[in-house]
Amino acid sequence: MTAGRAPRTLIAALAIAALVAVIGVGPAAAHTLSDGYVDLAIDGRTVTGRVDLAARDLHDALGLDGDRDGRLRWREVEAGADRIRGYVVDHVGLRSRAGACVVTAGALAAIDRADGVHVAVAVTARCPGPADPLTIDYRAIFAIDARHSGLIHVHGAGGSAAAVVRGPGSITLATGDGTGVAGFVRAGVWHIWIGFDHVCFLLALLLPAVLYRGGARAPDLGRLGGLGGAAGAAWQPRERLTDVVREVLGVVTAFTLAHSITLALAALGWVQLPGRLIEVTIALSVAAAALNNLVRGVDARWAVAFVLGLVHGFGFSSALAGLGLPGRGLVAALLGFNLGVELGQAAIVAVFLPLAFALRRTRLYRVFLVVASLAMAGLALHWAFQRAFA
Amino acid sequence: MVFALGAVGLAVVLTTAAMLGPSRAVGPVQTRSPAPDEVVAKVDPVRTVDAVGPARTVDAVGPSDAVGPIDADAALAAALTAARRHVEASRRQGDPRFLGRAQAALAPWWDAAAPPDEVLLLRATIRQGLHDFAAARVDLDALIGHRPDDVQALLTRAVVATVQGDLARATADCARVGALAGELLGLTCAAPLASRDGGARAAFDRLGALTAAAPRGPVAVWATTARAELARALDDDRAAERLLRAALAVTPDDPYALAVLADLLLDGGRPDEVDAMLRDAQAETLVLRRAIALRRLGKPEAAALAARLRGEIDASAARGDDTHLRERARYFLDVAPDAAMAVAAARGNWNLQREAIDVRTLLEAAAAAHDPAAAAPALIWIDAGGIDDAVLTRARARLEGGR
Repeated sequence: MTAGRAPRTLIAALAIAALVAVIGVGPAAAHTLSDGYVDLAIDGRTVTGRVDLAARDLHDALGLDGDRDGRLRWREVEAGADRIRGYVVDHVGLRSRAGACVVTAGALAAIDRADGVHVAVAVTARCPGPADPLTIDYRAIFAIDARHSGLIHVHGAGGSAAAVVRGPGSITLATGDGTGVAGFVRAGVWHIWIGFDHVCFLLALLLPAVLYRGGARAPDLGRLGGLGGAAGAAWQPRERLTDVVREVLGVVTAFTLAHSITLALAALGWVQLPGRLIEVTIALSVAAAALNNLVRGVDARWAVAFVLGLVHGFGFSSALAGLGLPGRGLVAALLGFNLGVELGQAAIVAVFLPLAFALRRTRLYRVFLVVASLAMAGLALHWAFQRAFA
Repeated sequence: MVFALGAVGLAVVLTTAAMLGPSRAVGPVQTRSPAPDEVVAKVDPVRTVDAVGPARTVDAVGPSDAVGPIDADAALAAALTAARRHVEASRRQGDPRFLGRAQAALAPWWDAAAPPDEVLLLRATIRQGLHDFAAARVDLDALIGHRPDDVQALLTRAVVATVQGDLARATADCARVGALAGELLGLTCAAPLASRDGGARAAFDRLGALTAAAPRGPVAVWATTARAELARALDDDRAAERLLRAALAVTPDDPYALAVLADLLLDGGRPDEVDAMLRDAQAETLVLRRAIALRRLGKPEAAALAARLRGEIDASAARGDDTHLRERARYFLDVAPDAAMAVAAARGNWNLQREAIDVRTLLEAAAAAHDPAAAAPALIWIDAGGIDDAVLTRARARLEGGR
């Protein structure tokens, strides 16, 4: 009896867990005091994250229930999106040591919390100097609810910091000592992990590493229809792990070498390039690497990694500069940051490689290669456009 | 070979993750995109546009009001109306958030040392509702100091004094209420004190005669609920249930009466009725009782409701607010049993408030933890006050029987 019950209990527990995951806390909202949440990630001079406020609080502050039927629908929240964004920008200010950051509010989403649905507003901020420590000036909701609390969380290279704000005012949070070499190592890891463009670039170059192109050298866009084993399919799985490892090592080493060179050049002040140019070129490099998987261009991907990797080094240097470089120990900081970037990269490779090797013979993997490359190319071109003209 | 690589990979990932510590760019709660027609909040349709006017959001109204010269008396009157409306909504719905709204409405006067009397009374009521009993008491003492015949102030101070354990003050205030506003109100006010020194039976009978003579009106409903609690102390749950149902027939959503009835049903082994009765309840006290019922019934929704309560507990802990200690203790007693957490919450709550239910909570938490010493303050309380309450006697027997 006990033996029979255990799995059934387990299944029930799993079913409940799944149910909870799907329905969240459900539509009903419990009655508690008002909370607002600010959750921010600091990367150099850039801050990204979200501000989330209870839908019912936002309504009381802004009057969002357009049809005044006592039911605030998501449609009505979206209709008031610009006012909500304006409210967030007006009531959540960010300041770095060097001065006020420029905060912009973006997309709206919903979050289910214990006290009901919250409206999450994506925010990004550009600061004039290193944004860690960061001063948060929080004034939301208090005017309509004096018992409101702002729960502030800040994440950065040095770890996390949190505080509760119980009345309109500011607090300064630092994520930890980012000035030691260890701090710079962590900053490097952090930067590559949240730097989506570097991850995409690396993946675009690594995805085909467990395959090789057979057949004649010719543009094979036309053969995309032949995916999955039709005669003349371009991609063939590599048989031996050593070949795959050699390919991966080639790409990673070339990328590391290239971005280390330019990172050093830029950090030491020997080469200076405009930030926007670097950002746009990085986006284009991702697109190029991804397109190289769709159209047969350069088979020697280590060369692609080296040439295009040069520009990523400039990108790292602006993140490093955003951390506030020490006057002394510059070289140690540089090495530390670079080591962090390599570690972050190694972690990505370590997850990717065994998976890709295990799946390399499957049709799914080749389909995924094309789909992912297409998606990354599209995304990267979108970034390039945004960064060039925004 | 692949597995070895995988292991190395995992190690690298874990090391890197450990280096980054608990850092996460986004919180644990996930965002989603609701359908356009999803109702994301029930709101007060009277707010903003109708009440304040479209051009003036509430933000524009406040101490540094730049809207224009408003007559000071009119501003005070408007603030008092808004604050009263919020306090009433809080009481009716069992939702403390309205108290924050009420405080905001009174913002220009909130920090004043000697605000107008009306503000003082509301400030005390709001503070009491948010369990800031000491500050509420200061306000009420000041107010009654120059308005000794203010029945509302006396009633509120009696409640605060009871919670604070100042029973002499509570008794005196209730007697004064009786002299000023009639015996029914005075006795109802004093009912929570009646189980001391064997007065419960007499209070129960007298209140019964008075309510029979004047069965209508809000005081009668309150008196009926108070009488039901006396019936429970007298170990007559059938009479208590009948009285509570009579009170709820008049005010079906009264969170206080619902909570008392839910406890009665739970004690009587009738969780299914609690589940049915509280299905749409929103007040935390009621959600808690339904969660207990669902758990006893072994229903699958129990987990979701428990998770929701847990979310509230975590949120109030993060906020650093201890207004939910009583509910927190009960949660760790009957929803997600954790005796040590229950004792900690029950003791914290005991330092804050001392009504019969707080005595019971501490006794039960100590029993769950097999730690009778933890209940010592409650036992002293019972013995010193000569309290004769069947519910507490049973809880005490469980504690001492489990030794």
